[in-house]
Amino acid sequence: MNSMQLYLHVNGELKQWTIAPGDLLLDVLRREGYFGVKRGCETGECGACTVLVNGKPINSCLMFAAQAEGCEILTIEGVEQGGKLDPLQEAFLEYGAVQCGYCTPGMILSAKALLAERPDPTEAEVREALAGNFCRCTGYLKPVEAVLAAARVYRQSRKQVRPSGARPKAERRPALHGKKR
Amino acid sequence: MFDHIECFYRPATIREALLLLRKVGKHGRIVAGATDIVTQADRSTRYLVDVTHLGLDYVRGNKRGCVIGATTTMAGLEHSPVIRALAGGILAKAASTCGSIQNRNMATVGGNLANASPAADTAAVLLALDAQVVVANSRRKRKTALTEFYAGPHRTVLNDELLEEVVIPALPGGGRLGWSFQKLGRTASDISLVNVAAGLQADARGRIKWARLALGAVGPTPLRARNAETLLLGNIISEDLLTHVGVTVMREVNPISDSRASAEYRREMSAVLARRALRECAAQAGCKP
Repeated sequence: MNSMQLYLHVNGELKQWTIAPGDLLLDVLRREGYFGVKRGCETGECGACTVLVNGKPINSCLMFAAQAEGCEILTIEGVEQGGKLDPLQEAFLEYGAVQCGYCTPGMILSAKALLAERPDPTEAEVREALAGNFCRCTGYLKPVEAVLAAARVYRQSRKQVRPSGARPKAERRPALHGKKR
Repeated sequence: MFDHIECFYRPATIREALLLLRKVGKHGRIVAGATDIVTQADRSTRYLVDVTHLGLDYVRGNKRGCVIGATTTMAGLEHSPVIRALAGGILAKAASTCGSIQNRNMATVGGNLANASPAADTAAVLLALDAQVVVANSRRKRKTALTEFYAGPHRTVLNDELLEEVVIPALPGGGRLGWSFQKLGRTASDISLVNVAAGLQADARGRIKWARLALGAVGPTPLRARNAETLLLGNIISEDLLTHVGVTVMREVNPISDSRASAEYRREMSAVLARRALRECAAQAGCKP
């Protein structure tokens, strides 16, 4: 079997890995211990294997690892900073947007890419951004609410002048918490 | 799944890519977005040639047409101001329905055409826009009409050639144009059961002087409904005329039955979507029935 060297950044760290030319990015990331990248349908339908490549969500099951040469990869493991959860992660917890959790890494990464481009998304835009991430626990409503809530936190944190490195806490919204539907 | 791949090439220039394609021959496969190649998992492929570093990711508008580099992604088309402004934005609209965001960030327009799926969403639109494709191998470069590009389901006239760019010629001048893209799928981002792209131009009295009607997923290749186009010419759009056009379209398509839909359903829906598309075109062109 031929092998090749792959240089890329994963969650901000430069990596050099030996891969086979036909390896898929999903398999390589999991082999290297990034288990937050989930193996789902393996046909680009379900989005469980979503990672950000240069800031854009892609299905890592449909991408050859060799295509990621020189790219910046973000997996769910790299979303928290210095032991602090990202506002999106806080909001998913706050809103109970996690059930079995299998789709959660992909959903949060898709949402992160959306909020980087559109800090003030409409509900329709959030739904469109999450359309490639299937949840089989029927939990779409709460993820949508969580993303909209996280967007508010991001926007507030940008307005505040804060010391570099400090990260905002997820907005607490007790009025909605546990709301009956 | 891909342990039979012996080498992954990343050429940096078109010339290098063409020489590589010649060298690897029929065991080679061009990779752009990879979304089709990975799902097809063809075990005869031994060499992959990545063409995404050749500088073919561009959209250049000129007078009234444009040129699109083959490795422009679906997301790139969707967000390109030139493509959004071209022909009522139907190419941008078609690109936005090609799967989820994750897939649209990878899948390319060159791949969508060269994979030659009869259901490819950009193909019907590009047929309606009279698009041409520029293809090259290490010896020659040629331009061919998209209508001459397809040889059958998942087959094109490409041999060891690389699809470099898609050329959309200037749209007809001298009158208001109307455009429409219609897609029927199980969900918003699913593969098309039927897709239709249409363009119309009417004269000052509302007579149709130019018409394009292209359909996907209803034949071995994406196709132009030329008899239906001819039927429109010189006439004023009316519900009667649209009924005739629908009947003609149903005779022109040649769908198959598969797990998604029966041939009968696809045939019926071809007429429904064609009429819907032409009504939308007519409204824009100011000749509403």
